[in-house]
Amino acid sequence: MPEDSSETPRKIIHIDMDAFFASVEQRDNPALRGKPIAVGGSAERGVVAAASYEARVFGVRSAMPSVTARRRCPQLIFVPPRFEAYRAVSRQIHDIFRRFTSVIEPLSLDEAYLDVSEDLQSVGSATRIAQLIRQQILEETGLTASAGVSYNKFIAKIASDQNKPDGLCVVRPEQGPAFVAGLPIRRFHGVGPRTAERMARLGIHTGADLRAQELELLREHFGKSADYLYRASRGIDFRPVRSERIRKSIGGERTYREDLLTDEALRSALTAIIDLVWERIERQAARGRTVTLKLKYSDFHQITRARSLPGAISGRGEFARLADELLEGVLPVPRGVRLLGLTLSGLEARTPSDAAQNVAEAPPRQAHFEF
Amino acid sequence: MKFSISRDALLKPLNLVAGVVERRQTLPVLSNVMLVLEGSQLSLTGTDLEVELVGRVPVDEAGIDGEVTVPARKLVDICKSLPEGSDIAFSVEESKATVRSGRSRFTLSTLPAREFPSVEEGIGTQQFSLKQGQLKRLIDRTSFAMAQQDVRYYLNGMLLEIRQEQLRVVATDGHRLAMCTFPEALSGQQDTQVILPRKGVLELARLLLAENEEIGITLGSNHLRATTGEFTFTSKLVDGKFPDYERVLPRSAEKVVVGARLDLRQAFTRTAILSNEKYRGVRLKLSEDSLDIVANNPEQETAEEQVPVEYRGDGLEIGFNVSYLLDVLGVLSGETVKLSLSDPNSSALLEEAEDGDSLYVVMPMRL
Repeated sequence: MPEDSSETPRKIIHIDMDAFFASVEQRDNPALRGKPIAVGGSAERGVVAAASYEARVFGVRSAMPSVTARRRCPQLIFVPPRFEAYRAVSRQIHDIFRRFTSVIEPLSLDEAYLDVSEDLQSVGSATRIAQLIRQQILEETGLTASAGVSYNKFIAKIASDQNKPDGLCVVRPEQGPAFVAGLPIRRFHGVGPRTAERMARLGIHTGADLRAQELELLREHFGKSADYLYRASRGIDFRPVRSERIRKSIGGERTYREDLLTDEALRSALTAIIDLVWERIERQAARGRTVTLKLKYSDFHQITRARSLPGAISGRGEFARLADELLEGVLPVPRGVRLLGLTLSGLEARTPSDAAQNVAEAPPRQAHFEF
Repeated sequence: MKFSISRDALLKPLNLVAGVVERRQTLPVLSNVMLVLEGSQLSLTGTDLEVELVGRVPVDEAGIDGEVTVPARKLVDICKSLPEGSDIAFSVEESKATVRSGRSRFTLSTLPAREFPSVEEGIGTQQFSLKQGQLKRLIDRTSFAMAQQDVRYYLNGMLLEIRQEQLRVVATDGHRLAMCTFPEALSGQQDTQVILPRKGVLELARLLLAENEEIGITLGSNHLRATTGEFTFTSKLVDGKFPDYERVLPRSAEKVVVGARLDLRQAFTRTAILSNEKYRGVRLKLSEDSLDIVANNPEQETAEEQVPVEYRGDGLEIGFNVSYLLDVLGVLSGETVKLSLSDPNSSALLEEAEDGDSLYVVMPMRL
């Protein structure tokens, strides 16, 4: 029996495009095919946004500083990102998803959870749906995607990574606990190098090791994540696929080619960031009450300063004023500033349905007599 | 006013009467108990304006007739804390009441008896009597299903119905319904329906201790009165219309399950431990000759029970508030219980497998 709350297990697919940005570049530029490429800035301060599989052989990874990437793979070809092209492909694959379900939770341009329990096309099997989606993505975009099929999000996501690239992995409800038990702990979402190290000290290396732990012990060592880890190690994850992601914050930042030193340079840089972030806020029609300023010095030391209002920020004027005040509070700067960022958080749920989706499980409903 | 009585004889009616008295009263006299001495009979009266209870007890030594009210709780506490078997001398002088026993002496404040409100009596329209034990069974079998502080005030009580000389009581809170029918005919009684308020029901049940003695019931337009040699209980009625309970009795519950009552009760009691503390949901999975009961809670702990039952038919999965099922299994007697179901959205009918006088309807819970 699956350890799941619903009577019939859900059917969840996690779709993840393979080396997405890099694959789009290779598709559109035949000269790049079969070569190690990195999408991102080649400049001194750039980072790799995506690496082709040819580049990954050399140990190039996304989020790696470009300098390191070039050191690992001297013949690496840097390609500037073309987000418009990626967004276009993203729209195409979402059109494909929508043929099969309306319950789609995008995680990024190239990654999404689908709850196909409703099975719009009456395909009859989630595995078959995943195959059809992968096939149609290939036919219509010329790109490959990997899919994980399972009864919850946690396992579906791990499964999509299992046979990457161009792979499919199905974990049935009855296989869930065993599948999770065999996973190295690092594969659990949210377990980074440091958590893994702490777990190793407790003798926890695999899902099975984790499962053997008492909830109390997990709480003691891992605090807030304990309940998640406890459930995940049992293959349990009740989180619904949320058609609209609930954002916790909206923000933006800029890294400057040359460090900013003077008050004037910082003020004018901030104005540009206010414009950038406010545009994003407007586009989301978001209402929030906390503004956070982030500042990274030339020595990579980072500070944040935040201010909250009792209610939502009323408009651009107020947002800009708060941002300016936060910046004035840190002036003059002791060292050059290489990065400035602004975030709006404390967002209000925009609609009642958004708020309702925060509740992981609908409460039981007691029926009553119709007198 | 003056009399003496043994502590134990006084304590019994005093305890019952004081139970009616609310501790917090807006009207000071309502926290008092009224004592009336007429010859050798002492009557004690407590009221909350909705329910009135008069207890009667003979005194050992009658002195001077009279009437007075004294603080109920204090008088109870004094009598209780006096040694068993002791005698009490009670007297009223001016506006003070004195309680003497052995070397103890208490002086209590009083309020005049004429300020003590009585529940107004209407004219009794019909009377019948039954054994106290029989009335107690009717109440015990159904009172748990009464609503509490529901805005549908007519559910905060128990329906007492006479129809075609048949006495029946019904209680429901809208989620479950309990009904018990008195097996004997009340010959010559007219059809009637009254709703006894919740407090009245619970107080009345406390009084029904002499199983084989008769209790007379008088129904008025606004009151119900129950009388024995020892007490007179009067309760106002709820002025409202009880819902048509027959409409909610399931008609097409064709999936009939028969099981051992105690086995089922124990299985539900155990699964209840790991049900959601707030919602108390359990899942029943019915298959041929087997009932699986499953509960889980937000901590993802689970309980599973398999109970062998008699059942032939299609499988069914249905959720219930386990407390509702346990309430029913707790009042039913007999070795076997019959559970009739139809589909996950329809109510369940529970009753004794044979010769039952009670019926229970429980609405499902969508889990």
